[in-house]
Amino acid sequence: MEEQEITSSNAGSSVKVETGDAWQRLAIIAILYFSARNIKNSAQGLIYIIPALAIGSNVLSKLNSPEAYIAIGTLVSLAVGSGLISFFMYTFRVHNQHVEIQTGVFQRRYTNLPFWRIQNVKIEHPFYYRPFGYALVVLDTAGSGKEEANIVAVPVSYANALRKQVLAENKKEEYSAALSSSNLNDSSVQSPAQSSPEHLSSDNGAARFGELAGGMPERNKLEGDSVESDEEVLNTRSIGDIVIHGITNNRVWIILGAAAPFYDDAIGLVSDWLADKGLQLNQIVGEQTVAWWQFGLYAFVILMMIMAAMALLSVGGALFTFYGYTLSRSEDRYIRRSGLLNKQEVSMRASRIQMITAKQDWLDKILKRVNLYFEQNSTAGQQVQELMSPNKLIVPSVTEQEAVELSQEVMPDCQLHRDDYLGISKRFILHWLVVAWSVPILALFIVGIVSSQLDIFLGSIGLLVAGSLLLTLRWWRWGIAADGKYVYVRRGRIGVDYLCFEPYKIQQVIVKQSVFMRRHQLASIKFVLASGSVTVPFLPEHYVKALADSVLYEVESTRKSWM
Amino acid sequence: MFSASKAAEFSNEPLSQQDLPALDLLALTSVSKKYRTINLGVCSTVTVLMLGALSVAKYQPWFRVPDDLHNAYPYACLVIFTLGFLWFTYHFFADKKVKFAVREQDVSKESGLFFRQLSCQPILRVQHVELKRGPLDRWAGLASLQVFSAGGEMHTFEIPGLEIDEANQIRQFILDHKDVSAR
Repeated sequence: MEEQEITSSNAGSSVKVETGDAWQRLAIIAILYFSARNIKNSAQGLIYIIPALAIGSNVLSKLNSPEAYIAIGTLVSLAVGSGLISFFMYTFRVHNQHVEIQTGVFQRRYTNLPFWRIQNVKIEHPFYYRPFGYALVVLDTAGSGKEEANIVAVPVSYANALRKQVLAENKKEEYSAALSSSNLNDSSVQSPAQSSPEHLSSDNGAARFGELAGGMPERNKLEGDSVESDEEVLNTRSIGDIVIHGITNNRVWIILGAAAPFYDDAIGLVSDWLADKGLQLNQIVGEQTVAWWQFGLYAFVILMMIMAAMALLSVGGALFTFYGYTLSRSEDRYIRRSGLLNKQEVSMRASRIQMITAKQDWLDKILKRVNLYFEQNSTAGQQVQELMSPNKLIVPSVTEQEAVELSQEVMPDCQLHRDDYLGISKRFILHWLVVAWSVPILALFIVGIVSSQLDIFLGSIGLLVAGSLLLTLRWWRWGIAADGKYVYVRRGRIGVDYLCFEPYKIQQVIVKQSVFMRRHQLASIKFVLASGSVTVPFLPEHYVKALADSVLYEVESTRKSWM
Repeated sequence: MFSASKAAEFSNEPLSQQDLPALDLLALTSVSKKYRTINLGVCSTVTVLMLGALSVAKYQPWFRVPDDLHNAYPYACLVIFTLGFLWFTYHFFADKKVKFAVREQDVSKESGLFFRQLSCQPILRVQHVELKRGPLDRWAGLASLQVFSAGGEMHTFEIPGLEIDEANQIRQFILDHKDVSAR
């Protein structure tokens, strides 16, 4: 087997993607990646041993001993050695529109990925690759997470060229599908399995962008070597925006922080109340040298410090993930680039977007910011961290105006903020009060009456009021609307989420009705999309049925692909 | 409500003789009666077995059961019996209400006793079809038809208690559907 090495020397505009028959070896820098990965994997396994080690022996005192050096040395050389072995056992080639990868030491694995099955091309720039101009290419298929393939270290120019070619192949595939289906005098053809190539979707893709381009407001081009010339930058996020995102997405600490002055009083009140009921906290905590209230205070101080640290972590995490955020568009693809140390690039075909979600929590509402998500199909069981997930393209903490513009960019003419949302029935409040809240409230109420304790009695009333209030807020927000093109859902309690999706992308429709709802001619509707399901309860029965029929008609008559 | 551009060439006639276009006018067929019988049998058997196990534990001569447990015996029996009875009653009434319908373009299922649920799966969106048969199903000649879409495992469309021939027919119908068999 002839093996060659791709180096940066073939960087430039005329990078050849095809590597021919010969199996390629990665750039030397990949050893670093493999070592880091192996260390990370073994560290995850070893993390459970640390407490045992710490208890079993005084680790700190032994840290200076020769044994420790030998242990550390062995660990490091093992990691480097395994990195080297992984490097030598990894070969790949790009040949005849297929990416082929051979990996594994004891268990050899051969992956063959045709270009047209590749759904996402993600280019990552780990910080130790960046000075040398290398990148990691993650090829994502529509199937399970296991089918993901990584080309670990190739020159950035090669990564870009490969991505371009894969995307071009997708387009070609789509075009031929369009041709063949128009010859058959039939609209788009949906395949039985996800293994199929792209499909025709007449109203999105290039045509949509063409007609949109004129109407779009002028957007500033990002000066940066990472953005390709044929890309239009749609959105960038400043550090300020990202800090706001970090704060608004970790809100617990604010409440706890604001309540800090009242902790002492609160503890006093709770303890008095419990003592009144015959419970002595002192007895529970035990006869210790520290008074129980001091103990409690320490706990709260520690909690506060943890919360503050978490807030900082949240801001830091947001900066790490979203630093230098750009969302750009290249023909029918959206590309997100961001990251402080490890730059990450996620690209998503416009036609794959199942749903737009504009989320605004209470703090976002005060700051007039919106988190916008473009949701792609989610593979069940694949729990990728939300922010990093290639299945959800997030635009963090945009202004309300930007949210409207971006959502209309992805789904032309969609109106998230509309005034014709059909609210759900008030019986929703009654239903949930009876089904979920009545038992605990009644139990408390009866205990209060029987034991003639006024506070328990009042507590049950308070719970009833709080429950009703939350349900009322939920009822007030929840609504659905449909225009000729999209279905919209509004929901939330204090914050508010707006969802928008195209009806032809629906996978399944479910109409639910309880005996109680039937009596009042109400019904719930659930739409199952590839990105998840959306439910709107307690709508008028005739509306639900008409909507279900009409959505099914849209799916079955247009026969457009959901991908 | 949405586009009506292709109304002329589109058809979604029900497979029965009647002409029923809307979801609430579906010609729903009940699943096999054996499905209910099996479920009722399972409920009764499990309840009787649990009661039997309790009784054996109470009356066996080999070791002494603590007095507290001895005293709890009637209550435990009562709880098991009540739960078993509720389970039995639920299946007695609910299994009759499991119904399905096949149209040219979609498969539907209606189920539930207190909370009725009508799910409709367009065949166009089907990824693959499976027949699931446990030992009891095989013994009774039944099968569950599972239809998978991109909606995820949580939303697998399943019609239980179909006669095996019927299940195979529907499976074949879905597989032969031009939108599924294409490419």
